[in-house]
Amino acid sequence: MSDIKIAPEGLEVARTLDAKGLSCPMPLLRTKKEIEKINSGEILEVLGTDPGSRNDIPGWCARAGHEYLGEREDEGFIRFYVRKK
Amino acid sequence: MSDGLFKEKVRNFFKILCQTEWNATAAGLIVALLSILIMAWWRPWGAVGAIRNWGEWILYGVGIFDARPASVVVSSGSVIGIGFLAGAFISACLGNDFSFKFPPPWELVKAIIAGILMGIGSAFAGGCNVGGMYNAIGNLAANGFTMWLGLVVGVVLGLKYIYWEMEHITWGTSGGKNFDFPYGLKILVGIVALVVLIWGAYYYSGQSDNYVNSLSGILLISAGLGYTMQRGRWCMVQAFREPHMTGDCTLAKSVALSILVLAIGAAVLKYAVPQRGSAVAVQSILSEVIDEIDPDEVDDEELADTLEDVIDAADQAVIAARRTLDPVNYVRGTFGWGGVLGGFLFGLGAMFAGGCGSGTLWRVGEGQMKLWLVVPFFGISNALMTKWFRAIHMEGVGPTHEGSKLGIHLYLPDALGYGGTIALVMIAMALWYIIVDWNEDSNKLIVEM
Repeated sequence: MSDIKIAPEGLEVARTLDAKGLSCPMPLLRTKKEIEKINSGEILEVLGTDPGSRNDIPGWCARAGHEYLGEREDEGFIRFYVRKK
Repeated sequence: MSDGLFKEKVRNFFKILCQTEWNATAAGLIVALLSILIMAWWRPWGAVGAIRNWGEWILYGVGIFDARPASVVVSSGSVIGIGFLAGAFISACLGNDFSFKFPPPWELVKAIIAGILMGIGSAFAGGCNVGGMYNAIGNLAANGFTMWLGLVVGVVLGLKYIYWEMEHITWGTSGGKNFDFPYGLKILVGIVALVVLIWGAYYYSGQSDNYVNSLSGILLISAGLGYTMQRGRWCMVQAFREPHMTGDCTLAKSVALSILVLAIGAAVLKYAVPQRGSAVAVQSILSEVIDEIDPDEVDDEELADTLEDVIDAADQAVIAARRTLDPVNYVRGTFGWGGVLGGFLFGLGAMFAGGCGSGTLWRVGEGQMKLWLVVPFFGISNALMTKWFRAIHMEGVGPTHEGSKLGIHLYLPDALGYGGTIALVMIAMALWYIIVDWNEDSNKLIVEM
């Protein structure tokens, strides 16, 4: 895995998915489902605790054509940001 | 300046060794190498042996089993599990992946179902994804292929179920909690765990009993496997699932390559070592006994006794040399419907769990509470099934599983020769590789949401 991509501060989020405590493959599957609920160009925020998501979410973005904006560490969880294609 | 540069290189080294996710191909090759080494040391590794031993202790503790199970620090299966967990825990601590991750309640319900299915599945298949598939094909046993087939079907059906669940189940699907610790503390605990692990290995190696003595290597090699698999997030159920979920075939390719390398390693050990190893053992014991004979003082009766001892010793040596690497070991009588059904149930269970036998254990090591719950249910259901199967001779009797109702006991080289067996594994793994690679671009095998 390459270095971790840090998301810019102050992103305007259209929707937030709470995937804390979920393990593989649920965070990614829930993300896939949740992104259907926002419009193209809007940003989905995913709150997760599974270390695997650091690889899964960017990998899926590249495959599905969404833009992976990066992550931000919070207290005990990670926020991931995806801009819908 | 050069001091600063050196420090930076040291930091980079720590980062690569302990923090970044290892490349899947490299992780798969290291897993294959360690699997060959542990086989050469003594026995192939597996996950369900440990989990069943722990399940037997639970059943003994609540009074369901009368017989006291093997000690968790003496049963070789359990020691593999302890080493594996320790390796994964050390990796998760040093890499800052460890925290207590409490899932939402519905995930805990799934964990119980998962554990039960995996326990039943591995009883039918003669092992979990490791002992029943990965190391089974690695041990050139035909039953590995039937479980492989069952796993594919079980994982696809499990994926369909998860899609259904996301549409229809809303209770208890959010509200997970995470309890994290300062990174510095994790590094400290990781180092302490490493020291305890090494102390454990020295403690074993200092024991006079041959069996206990050899647990030292078992503990350390298993820890290497746990470390590698956590660091590479090397998960076999993901290898089966991902091609149908996102199309990503990185892990499937890595598992295919790993199995091929393991099978070649096993063929080398199984073909060559019993020939050379037993010959050396016999020769050394023979010469030891013959050295004690003083030709001038031998009367006929004594000579006869001595010769008997020599023959006995030679037989023992052959048995000892063959004990581990005799091809008959680790082949199960499940090449048939048992392997397919077992693989299917296990694959379904692994989808509920989010981890296979090995994947469950390394996730336990990084603090995923869902998988903590999978393990006891997996252990209890497998211990009960195994006890029942033994009572009714489900898998037949003896080392060749005479009369198994689950399928055939087939050591592939007996049917195809060593060359033919390696060719078969090569073709099977190449086909798997090509199909998942083709699917990654064509998406033909993806199960749509």
